[in-house]
Amino acid sequence: MASPLLRTRALSKLPLHIKWVCSNISTSAVRHADPSIKNDVALLNPGETDISPVTGIPEDFVKERRVRIYEPAKNCMQSGTNNIGHWQMEFDTKERWENPLMGWCSTGDPLSNMNVEFSTKEEAIEFCEKNGWQYYIHESKLQKKFKPKSYGINFAWNKRTRVSTNYILEQYLAQYLRQGQVRFLAKN
Amino acid sequence: MAQYFGLDKIAAFFKTIQQYGGIRASLYKIYRMDSLRPGTLVGTDKYGNKYYENPSYFYGRNRWVEYAPYYGLEYDASQVPAEWYGWLHYKTDLTPDKDPFRPKYKWMADHTENLSGTSGQYMPYTTTRPKIEPWIPPKSS
Amino acid sequence: MAFGSDRSRFTDIDFSGKRAVEDKDIGPLVKTIMTRCIHCTRCIRFASEVAGVDDLGTTGRGNDMQVGTYVEKMFMSELSGNIIDLCPVGALTSKPYSFTARPWEIRKIDSIDVLDAIGSNIIVSTRTGEVMRIVPRVNEEINEEWLADKSRFAYDGLKRQRLVTPMIRDCNGELKPVDWEAALLTVAKVVKGAGSSIGAIAGGLADAEVLVAVKDLLNKLGSEALCTEHTFPLDGSGTDLRSSYLLNNKIVGAEEADLILLVGTNPRFEAPLLNSRLRKAWVHNELNVAVIGPKVDLRYPYEHLGDNPEILQNILCEEHVFSNKWKSAKKPLLIIGSDTLERPDGAAILAAAQSLAAKTCPEKSWKVLNILHKIASQTKFGEGNLKVLLLLGADDCSINKSDLPKDCFVIYQGHHGDYGASIADAILPGAAYTEKQATYVNTEGRAQETLVAVSPPGRAREDWKIIRALSEIVGTKLPYDNLNEIRDRLDQVAPHLTKYGYAEEANYFKQAEQLAKKTQAKLDSSAPIDVKIKELQDYFMTDSISRASPTMAKCVQAVLKQKQSKY
Repeated sequence: MASPLLRTRALSKLPLHIKWVCSNISTSAVRHADPSIKNDVALLNPGETDISPVTGIPEDFVKERRVRIYEPAKNCMQSGTNNIGHWQMEFDTKERWENPLMGWCSTGDPLSNMNVEFSTKEEAIEFCEKNGWQYYIHESKLQKKFKPKSYGINFAWNKRTRVSTNYILEQYLAQYLRQGQVRFLAKN
Repeated sequence: MAQYFGLDKIAAFFKTIQQYGGIRASLYKIYRMDSLRPGTLVGTDKYGNKYYENPSYFYGRNRWVEYAPYYGLEYDASQVPAEWYGWLHYKTDLTPDKDPFRPKYKWMADHTENLSGTSGQYMPYTTTRPKIEPWIPPKSS
Repeated sequence: MAFGSDRSRFTDIDFSGKRAVEDKDIGPLVKTIMTRCIHCTRCIRFASEVAGVDDLGTTGRGNDMQVGTYVEKMFMSELSGNIIDLCPVGALTSKPYSFTARPWEIRKIDSIDVLDAIGSNIIVSTRTGEVMRIVPRVNEEINEEWLADKSRFAYDGLKRQRLVTPMIRDCNGELKPVDWEAALLTVAKVVKGAGSSIGAIAGGLADAEVLVAVKDLLNKLGSEALCTEHTFPLDGSGTDLRSSYLLNNKIVGAEEADLILLVGTNPRFEAPLLNSRLRKAWVHNELNVAVIGPKVDLRYPYEHLGDNPEILQNILCEEHVFSNKWKSAKKPLLIIGSDTLERPDGAAILAAAQSLAAKTCPEKSWKVLNILHKIASQTKFGEGNLKVLLLLGADDCSINKSDLPKDCFVIYQGHHGDYGASIADAILPGAAYTEKQATYVNTEGRAQETLVAVSPPGRAREDWKIIRALSEIVGTKLPYDNLNEIRDRLDQVAPHLTKYGYAEEANYFKQAEQLAKKTQAKLDSSAPIDVKIKELQDYFMTDSISRASPTMAKCVQAVLKQKQSKY
C-alpha cells in the first residue's frame, strides 16, 4: 500500500496534502524511474523474492493451483482491437456443481473469478514468481504474413481473383482460358 | 362447610384417581401427561386421541387432548387432526360429531403429523430440468 | 411541451413507409433478421471467396436491395457458421445459440476443438456449468479466424447421451449403474485375472494423457496391444519416423504451394479449414490442384487424374502426363488422406508417395509429403487372444462383438453412450474435451491443450485419473498423481507433446523413403481409391459428440431436403 515514493527525499519536501495524494500512486513506470531505489534489491529482482509467506494466501492455493498467463483473444464477432494487447492471468478451473436446493451453480473456489491484468508478459511473470505460483505462458499466434492487396485484383482479366457470380463460367475461364491453355482466335 | 376445610378437594382428588382407573394408572398418567386433571370425555378421533373438557378450569386449560396410548412418550401437538384442532384451540365450541357444517370431500387427505427431525422429513430437491441427459442403455432382449 | 413533441416527424410512414425486409431461411444454423442488414456484403464475399459457395447475393437495388439466396435455399457450406462472426449488425446470428444466454453471464475459456484433426483454437462460452456456445479464436497458423460448422455447433451433443455413472453388465445382460468402488473393483478383478492378454483401442477423441497412462498400464501388465481405431501401415518406416504420418509442411505451408496432389482425401469435409487455405492459394497464388480419388466437389477446380492407385506408380515412372508438371513444380505438395492408408495396400501407396516426394527438388525446408488425418488422436500413437479389451471412446463400429473371443470382457471408458458403450460389459464414465485439461495433437504434430470449461457430469471423472485409480487397485500403481507428473511422463515419452503451440519439424524423409522401398505390399489396382465423406450430409455426424447433437441432425435433414429441391 505505502508507496516507495514516500521514502524519497523529494517527496518529503512537498506539502502534506500533496504527499497524501501521491502516496496512493504506485505504478511500475513511476517506480523504475525513481533513482533512490536503485539499491533496493527486492524491488529490482522481483523474480528472486518470494512474498507468498506474507501475502496471506493459503498454502494449497500457492502449491496446487496453476496460473495461465495469456493474451485475451479479440472478440471474433467484432473488428475492434482496443480490448486486446494486454496480458492476463487466470487460475485453473475447479469443480462447479448444481446447488441441490435452487439449481444454481455452486463452486468452492474463491479464485474462480480472479483475473489480474498486466500490460506486458514480463510483468505477469514477475507477479507470479513473486507470489510463488506455478505458471505457464500461452503464446498467441497472431502474426499474420503481410500480403499486399489491391482492389484492382477483383477485376483482373487473367487472374483467378476476378470476382464474379457466374461460378461455372469463371471456373472454366480461370482454369483454361486465362492461363493460355485454350486460345480463342478473334477475327478482326 | 367442606369447602372451608378443603375436604371437597380431597374428595375431588380421590374421584379423579377413580376416574382414571386406580393409583397405578394415575401414576402412569402423571408420568406421561405431567398432569392429572378430571374432565368429561367429549370425543375420540379415529387415531385414538381422547378429548376432555372441564369448564371449572380457566380459559386455556378447559379443553385438552390425551394422545393415544400407542404414541407412548412420543406424543406431539401435530398429531391432533384438523377436525379436532378447531375445538381444542377454542375456534369453535362444537365438536366434530355434533357440528353439521364440517366439510367432507373425497379429496381430503389423511392427516399426517409433523415429521421434522425424523427420517421422514422433507428434503428439498431440485425441480429444474436436468442439464445433462444421461445415456439409457438399450434393453437387451 | 417540456420534453418535445409527442408526434414523430417521419411523415413518410404514410407513403413508402419504413424499410422492412423478410427474414430468409438459409438453414438450421444461421438465423437471419434481414431488416437489420446494412448490405455490407461481407457474407456474400465470404461465401463467394473463402467458402467457394456462391449461394448468397444481392437482389434489387437502392432501398429495396435484399441480401439473400433469392430462392429459398440453404447455405450449403461446411463453413457457413463464420458468416455469423462476420456480420457487423445482428442480421445473421447463430440459431442454436439465440436467446439462450446474455454476454455478461458468459464465462469464456480458451480451448481446442477436437472434432477434426486441425485443432482449431476455440473459446468455450459457459454459464452455470453448461456450454452455451463455441466461437473461434484467432490463430494465424491453424485456423486464422474461421471455424468449421461441426466444431461450432455440435456442442449440444455434450448434453445428451452422456455417461454419468459407472455401469456393470449384470447376469441378465443389462447394464446397471453402480458406484465407482464397485466398478473399479470388478474391473480390476477381471484385469488381474487376464494377466497380459489385455488390449486397448483408442478412439478419435482420446487425449495424450490417457493414452500414455493406458500404455504404461498395459506395458506394466505385460501387453503391447494398444492401437488406434484407424489403422496405419506399419511397413517401412510406419509410425517410427514422424515424417511419415504428419502434415509435414504445416497448414500455413499449404498456402504457399504451387502444385498440390491430393491422394484419397476430401479436405473439404475432412479438414475444412485446410481446404479454405487451399482455396485461398488457388485464388491468390495460382495454385493448381490434382486429385487421385473420387470426383468430389472441393469448391475450386482441380484436375481429376482418376481413382486408380496405379496412377501414382505411373507418375513415379514418368509414364503419366502429370509427371512433367510434378517435376517442374517449385513448391509441390502431396497430401494423402488417412482413409487411403487404411487400405490393405496402404503401405504401398505410402511408399509410392514417398518416392514421388523424393523425386521433386523443392526449396530447402519445404516438405513435400503430408498426411492428412481425420480425427484428433490419430497422430499420437503409432490382436490375438484378448481377455480384456479397453475401449477409450472407440465408437466407429470397427469392432464387432462377434469378432471378439466369447469370454472377452469389454471395458468402455468414454463420455458418450454410443456403439462402444452398448457392447461393453463395464462402463467407466470419462470427461469430454470441454471438461478436462488435456493435450491433443493436430495433424501437423502440433500439441495443444484443452482447458476445463465445465465439470464432468454426474460421477464422470477425468480419463487419466480413472486409469491411475484402476492401476492402483490392480496392483501396478502408475507413478503419477497429478497433472504435472503425468505431463512429465508425456515429456519423457515424446518431448514435443508438451511444447504447446509449437509444431516440431519432422526429418528423415530420405530414410523414410528408403525404408518404404523395402515394403512387400503391392498397389491394388482393383480397388479404386475412395474417401468416406463425399457429401455435405455425411460431414455433420462423424463422432460420438456430433452424433448425439440435435443441431447436427437438423443440419443433415436440411441438406437432404435441399438436395431434393430444384435450386
